[in-house]
Amino acid sequence: MKQIRYMLFLITFCTFLFFPGPSGARTVTDETGRSLTIPDDPRRIVSFAPSITEIIFALGRQDRLKGVSRFSDFPPEATQLPSVGSYIRLDIEKIVALKPDLCFATKDGNPKDVVTRLTAIGIPVYVVDPRNLEAVMETTLRMGDVLNAAPRADAIVHEMLSRIDRVRALIATAPSRPRVFFQIEISPIVSVGAQTFVNELIEMAGGINLAKGSAPYPRFSREQVLALAPDVLIITSMARGGRFDQVKKEWSQWPSIPAVRNHRVLMVDSNLFDRPSPRLVTALETLARSIHPELFEGEK
Amino acid sequence: MESPLLLKRLFRVSVLLLILLIAAVFFGISIGSTGSGISETLTTLFSGPEATDPMRHTIIWQVRFPRVILAILVGAALSLGGLVFQALLRNPLAEPYILGISSGSGIGAIIGILAGLPRFPGVSATAFAGSMGTLLLLFVMSSGQTLLKKDTLLLSGVMVNAFCAALITFLMSITQDSRLHNILFWLMGDLSAADLSQVGIVAIALIPCFVLLFALSNSMNLLLMGRELAQTMGLNIKAATLTLLVATSFMVSLTVSFCGPVGFVGLVMPHVLRLAFGPDHRVLVPACIFGGGAYMVLCDLLARTLPDQGEMPAGVITAMIGVPLFILLLKRSG
Amino acid sequence: MMKNVINARQLSYSYGHLRGLEDVSFSVQQGDFFIIIGPNGSGKTTLLKCISGILRPRTGRLEILGAAVQGYSRKSLARSIALVPQTAPVDFPFTVTEVVLMGRSPHLGILGVEHQQDLERARQAMDFTGVASLAHRRLDQLSGGERQRVMIARAICQGPRIILLDEPTASLDLAHQVRVMDLMERLRHEKKVTILMSSHDINLAALYGNRLMLLKEGHVVSIGPPAEVLTFQTLEAAYGCALLVDKSPLGDFQRVTLVPQKFIDPAIKAGIRRP
Repeated sequence: MKQIRYMLFLITFCTFLFFPGPSGARTVTDETGRSLTIPDDPRRIVSFAPSITEIIFALGRQDRLKGVSRFSDFPPEATQLPSVGSYIRLDIEKIVALKPDLCFATKDGNPKDVVTRLTAIGIPVYVVDPRNLEAVMETTLRMGDVLNAAPRADAIVHEMLSRIDRVRALIATAPSRPRVFFQIEISPIVSVGAQTFVNELIEMAGGINLAKGSAPYPRFSREQVLALAPDVLIITSMARGGRFDQVKKEWSQWPSIPAVRNHRVLMVDSNLFDRPSPRLVTALETLARSIHPELFEGEK
Repeated sequence: MESPLLLKRLFRVSVLLLILLIAAVFFGISIGSTGSGISETLTTLFSGPEATDPMRHTIIWQVRFPRVILAILVGAALSLGGLVFQALLRNPLAEPYILGISSGSGIGAIIGILAGLPRFPGVSATAFAGSMGTLLLLFVMSSGQTLLKKDTLLLSGVMVNAFCAALITFLMSITQDSRLHNILFWLMGDLSAADLSQVGIVAIALIPCFVLLFALSNSMNLLLMGRELAQTMGLNIKAATLTLLVATSFMVSLTVSFCGPVGFVGLVMPHVLRLAFGPDHRVLVPACIFGGGAYMVLCDLLARTLPDQGEMPAGVITAMIGVPLFILLLKRSG
Repeated sequence: MMKNVINARQLSYSYGHLRGLEDVSFSVQQGDFFIIIGPNGSGKTTLLKCISGILRPRTGRLEILGAAVQGYSRKSLARSIALVPQTAPVDFPFTVTEVVLMGRSPHLGILGVEHQQDLERARQAMDFTGVASLAHRRLDQLSGGERQRVMIARAICQGPRIILLDEPTASLDLAHQVRVMDLMERLRHEKKVTILMSSHDINLAALYGNRLMLLKEGHVVSIGPPAEVLTFQTLEAAYGCALLVDKSPLGDFQRVTLVPQKFIDPAIKAGIRRP
């Protein structure tokens, strides 16, 4: 049955030989080692994660994007596209209805059985695994290959690398490494540890991540934070259940914390920090500015 | 009441509910999150796959159909489970999870999810192991003779349930990342994950249980008389009770391991069907299979089409429909 | 010659340390109206459970219709012996017809599919016990006496050679007591069924039973026709209270009267008691 459907697909595709552009298929390997057959020039793409949506837009291939996962909100044009469900709970029916010839999924987050089922139905799913900054660049390049946008991908990665280098160069001149506490939840207090993007970024931005340990999202009591005595306290806008002012006010009751004493309690946009997209570099720059404001005084 | 002749009653009830079931299946595969296409369904049914848009064909047969079949199996298994436990324990509040099956499989499922296993076969297998484990614990706790005394079994089941529920809450409280979402979804009951081959496996495992329980339906009638009296009427109490217990536990465990604990069907369907068709289990067993299956298909249909985005847990719908339905029938019966 | 339908030799049964029955031997003949009497805890119910196969005696030999009870399968035993329990099952939602039809189970296959002849037998049983007019009523909506008669109809429907009854008149009013006992008489004479029952009512036992057995604390005290068993010495020893035994005004039947304390001394003085 599956073979018949696939043949139908291929036949339909071949009839479009009258139109310019390549037709036919090729075999590629995705970032989890799976081998899959995709069209030479994918024309109907569905993205299963907001980060993937961002990369597709950055590569300039948004005209071929037919559906996105629910919270794909950057760039703003992405919100106009049809939603196929949240990235934890994808709606297979909606995906199939969009008649995609290629889908992109992430290794962590998207449920594996959705990938399996779509593959069984005959829809190829390319799985990416952008687990850190370097991997994001790798993913961008690979997606550029798959989507025939290699020059654009190269340009993006080049820009990312040069921005990273600049930050690195600046940080190298920093006199010290401030102690940073990065808060992503208010109640309970949750920070970020190993295997998260933020951990890597804090290090690169010249800070010491106080929550660095083996757990990715460790919890802290107020007491423990006091004991850690961070120099900089950064809170993401996604910290649920409260607004930044409220949270800042709560921390201001503990002037024994150096960050509070020195007025270095800051807020950052969570979307920059928890999405493995090229904007992570912007996150890096934001962090660097927050941790070492003195190094950026000359910049705009 | 209708004619006492069993075969006539059985035939009438089965035909009625089978029609209902087929109608439910038809609606189930025609309606979904990408719109309702009754005419499209008819086209694919009668003109073959070549005549329809392959995308529509795929959606109807590869996305919706397995789910509908799974809903039938789940609804049937849970309704039957409730029916059998209500007869075995002689308690109208009994439902299929009363022996701790759902909470035991919950623990197994959570362990599977935390270990990063895929939903099938990984998490299903650990969930099944979990429920079988709690049943074993139950049997060990209430040893031998006292096991067959209904109150002991019931009380032990309540204890096991409470313990496992606490353990589940604990496990959830220490899970911090996206796996918590997966756990929550699993605990709410989820029919969306199956494809046709997996559903086939579940069917192969469940259908023999249905047949076995049908064969034991007269024994269930006799059991309600009281164990001693039933013995004097030729029933082997130990064999019957044990077989019913094991078969039903296996059936419910398998169902829960696959889809998570869908609530309320097992409690309300037996009562609804009993009010409608009488207390004879020889009629109620097929009624639970067809009627329970149809009910689940319809509830699942509502669960996936009512919300704007995403879907509700099926258990919410089964409760919201089941309760008024039950109250209505209760009032009618006086 | 009358055969023994039940032959019991040295039966004993214990519930843990508690002695239920000890060294009980007796036999019941075809067509008997055999009534077991004795105070509470004397083992009457235990004995009935042993005979009906619910309990297995620890020692001794029990033969039903000439064959050892262990040799019977449950179903074949059910075809020979039916039990009418003291109380009908509670929370039992079935109608009278359905209950009586359940009596046919030992004769039917796995699903208990009933045929026309089973319906016929059920109807006959309901006519016999006078519950035919209640055919579509639910069992739990009936009065105590009506329920008892339905349970008897069910037992009759089982088509057994022997019917056991466990204190069938215990919770019935006077009219129903007589009615049930008369039903048993009719069963004996018309259907040739052997009746074995336990009773707490000695007078009823005297009026109906052709053979009585008196139990005390699991032992057999006396077996035989009522005139032999119902003497005031044996009865007083067994029941532990003052009793008066004389002849019933209805005929040659024993009549047992309880003697309240206030009559004890005057009774002796007036010489009413016979030695």
